[in-house]
Formats: sequence, C-alpha cells, structure tokens
Amino acid sequence: MEIKINNLTKRYGKLVALNKINMEASGPGCIAILGPNGAGKTTMLKLISNIIKPTEGSVLINNINVSDYPERALKYLGALIEQPEFYYYLNGYEILRFAAKVKGIKNNIDEEIKRLADLTDIKSYLYRKTGTYSRGMKQRLALAVAMVGNPEIIILDEPTFGLDPRGMAYIRDLIKDLSREKLIILSTHLIYEAREVSNRTLIIDHGEIKYDSIKNDNKKRILVTFDGPFNGIKSDVIEDIKNLDGNKMIITPVESVSNYDIIYDLIKNNVKIKSVQEYDDLEEKYISITS
Amino acid sequence: MGNLANVYVQYVKNYYRSKSFYLMLTLILVISVLMTYFSLKYVNDLPAFLGKNVPFHVKKVLFYFLWAFVLINIPVFSSVFFGSPAISSEIENRTAYYIFPLPINRYKLYIGKYLSAFTVTFIIVLIYSAFEVIILHYLFGSIPISFLYSIGLLAIFIFTILSITFMISSIFNKNTYAYITVFIIYYIVFEAGSLIINLLYKITPIYLLNEAADIVEKVYLNINTSSFVSTPSLAPADNSEIYTSILIMIIYMIISFVAGIIIFERKEVS
Repeated sequence: MEIKINNLTKRYGKLVALNKINMEASGPGCIAILGPNGAGKTTMLKLISNIIKPTEGSVLINNINVSDYPERALKYLGALIEQPEFYYYLNGYEILRFAAKVKGIKNNIDEEIKRLADLTDIKSYLYRKTGTYSRGMKQRLALAVAMVGNPEIIILDEPTFGLDPRGMAYIRDLIKDLSREKLIILSTHLIYEAREVSNRTLIIDHGEIKYDSIKNDNKKRILVTFDGPFNGIKSDVIEDIKNLDGNKMIITPVESVSNYDIIYDLIKNNVKIKSVQEYDDLEEKYISITS
Repeated sequence: MGNLANVYVQYVKNYYRSKSFYLMLTLILVISVLMTYFSLKYVNDLPAFLGKNVPFHVKKVLFYFLWAFVLINIPVFSSVFFGSPAISSEIENRTAYYIFPLPINRYKLYIGKYLSAFTVTFIIVLIYSAFEVIILHYLFGSIPISFLYSIGLLAIFIFTILSITFMISSIFNKNTYAYITVFIIYYIVFEAGSLIINLLYKITPIYLLNEAADIVEKVYLNINTSSFVSTPSLAPADNSEIYTSILIMIIYMIISFVAGIIIFERKEVS
C-alpha cells in the first residue's frame, strides 16, 4: 500500500487551491492532515480520490495514476470525502451492494455487507431509504462504503463530523484499529484527534504542505512546572531548555534519555518540581504556521 | 460491461421509486383517461368543422394522428422530469462524493444513467401507448403497422431528447438551471425558432429537432401541425421524409451524447 503525490497542483482560474504538493506514504499507519478552512486539505483528498482532476501533477496509488486509470487505481482506495449524500430512494443495503459490485466483489457480498454493518453499527437502519437518514447515520454509511472490499488505503475527510460524542469516540477507535493494517489519510480540524490517532502529521496552509512531522524536528519534549526562581540548569541529559512565563519550562532531552534521568538532574539543580508531562507542540506549530 | 449493468440497475431503482416517476405516472394516466373519454365521445360525433360524413378510413387515420400528436409531447416532459437533473443533481445533491471515488469510469456512470432515464421515460410512453392500442382497436377493430413505426420513431426521439437534456444537465451544478435551460432550448430555441423561420422565410426548418420529431405523427397524416407552409396530405409521410427525420434526430443524438460525456468526464465537484 503506497501513495505518491508528485507536484500536485489545482487551480481554479487565478486561485491556486493546491500548489505543487509532493508527498509519499506507505502503510500501514495514519497520516493526519491539519489546516485551517480553505487551506487545501479537502482539495488534496478530492484529487486523491478522483472527485476532481489535477491541473498539474499526479497521484499514484500503488504506482497506478488515478486520473488516467481510475477503475484500476481506485480499487485499492476507499474514501469518505466531506459529507456525502446517497441516492434518496435506495436503502443502505443497496448502496453497499452497489459499491461491493463495482469494487469487483462477486461472491459473499451479503457477508461483506454484514461485516461492514457490524463494524460501523448501521444494522438497525440498513434497509431504510437513505433519504430518511440523519447526518450521523449517513456519515456511518459513508464510512462503511469507504471500507467496502477491505481497501488498502482509506481517505477520511472529517469522519467524525456530525456524530455525537459516543459516535466520535467509536470512529476514532475504529481508525486506530484500521491503521494497524491499512494506510489511513485523515483530514481533521481537531488537533487532539490528529494527535490521538495518527503517527504522522501534515499541516497544510495556502495550498502548500508547511509541516510534515517525518521531515521536521519531531523530538520528544517535556513540560515541567516548578516553584521558585529559575537559575539555569547544568545537565548532560538536556539538549535545550526554554523557560516560559516564570514557572514553566520546556525541556528537550538528549535522544534516548528517559524522563527519570531528566527529573533526577532537575532535582540535582535544586528545581522544585510541581509536575512533569509530555509536551506536544503540535498546537503551537499549527498556530505559528497558519497565523 | 458488468459495471455498466450495475450502474443501470442502481439508477433504474432510484428513478422508479422517485416522486418524479409517480408524478409523471399520474399525469400520463390522467392524459390517457382524458384521451379515452374524448375518443369514445367523439368517434361518432365529430366536430362540424371536420365535415359531416367523414369516411371511416379517414376517421381512423385522424384518431391515430390525434393520439400520436399527444404522444410526441410526452418524451419532452418526461425527459425534463428525469433527464434535466440527471447529472446536475450529482453535484447539487452531493451524491458525487459517494459515487466518484468508486472504481468506475465516469462514462459508464453517464451511459448507465442515460439508459435508465430512457427506460423510465419509455415505460411512461408505453403506458399511454397501451391506452392508445386498446382504445383504437376497440373503436376501429385493427392497429395499423404505422403504429409500430411511430413507437420506433418515438424511441429514437426519446434517445435524442435525453441526449440533449443530459448534455445540458452536465453543464450545470444546479438542477433549476438545467430544468430552465432544457425548457428554453426546446420551447424557445426549437419551437419558436421554427415558427419564426416559417413566418420569415416560408420554409419548414426540417433540421430543427422539433420538426424532425414531428415524423412520429406524420406517419399517419402528412400534416405539419407546427408549420404554416406545409403541404397537407391525408397520406402518410413518404419514406424519404422518414429517413431524413431519423437522420436528423440521430445527428442531434450523437453530437449531444458525445459532448455530454466529454463535459461529464471533466466535471469538477466544487
């Protein structure tokens, strides 16, 4: 399972929605794409899933060009883009059956539909016309459609949109499970969601990838709160210290050093520690990149 | 081929369960019942302007002509119902987000939907035609071969009008624009266009689709009801006129069908 994006550009007249994006990913795992509204996240996912065509560049899924050979390339892909609607007069079963047939499933279609209905918890309304579904029901059905045929790569554009908190938690757990075997590309506005489910993060702004966690500094950091004055620290296990508003500091440890070694050295330097926690600067990076 | 069949079945199901289908069905049943009522009422009591002692064979052709005159308008209304929103609705109703990422070529989606729209339109036409056959057989004791011709010609006309409607639907992202444009094209560009050309140049513009489609009724009586400069005849249209009309309809069909597919292939969901 592999996806290659080469110089991917999408222009609408003079507006450049996506500007020469390059990215490679292979699974399994989960890549979270963060970015403000209009940054180009959904445009990128629409291009990957053939909903729109690129102005320049290409998307290769397992080395097959999506624009040129959609019928071959998209067999490896399942996609939930924005909040799709379904044909009003067809029921959930018929929607899934159609998706299964075009994905080339010939035998055991009913077993596949049952598996997906169980997985996404849509059994109770599977035979109702989709025109009667609520937003959350449609979102779950869309997720089931994306997973028809067990695709290697799954594109999810804000999959928890419209779901209640229980539904959101359920979908996040499902994404975590799926990412053990598949490559998930997830677009979200929610930094905590990206942090919870992904092992790689991209931040897109103004149509460009501004941050990629595998290319950028991705070192572990520790946030320490303490009492008393900050008089500097001498330590062999600390690479860098940043003192925040008087009684907080962010410590970048030397690679492969444990938190216990850091705490030991802080105590040796007479720091009165109040708390120690892992520091995730994704939110800080996001704000600095997108502001 | 397999995917095309799957697309066709999916869209036929969605069409025949839709409110549009039942609305069109109701409309066609009302029209059929009205035609039945007037046929039974006037078969032995023709209005005075048609003459008093109309021979049986002329009366027979006249009733066939009147039923065909109504028949020719049914595909236009049906294609507006089923064809106008066919492609634009994929964008407006956001179903494109579900269907486009599936591993299926867009031209297959287009053709599948086109064939399914033809199927439901033809079902509507067949319901009216069934009334026509039963009533006219009851009144005159036989059905002429020209009835089969007119149904065949009508099938070509349905394919053509749906081709044009689908092409227009591919251009727009809003159903309303597609509905309005189809109406404008058929009733202003074609109908008014042929009227103006008739009045100004005293010729029948056979190259306009509505004129070519008149062949459906002219297989009974060679009268062009929308023309001022026709050469009325109680005899049916001759073969050369039938072939010319078929050719014109097929040219419209092919050009608009190819254009529609090209537009749909490049369609952006935004």
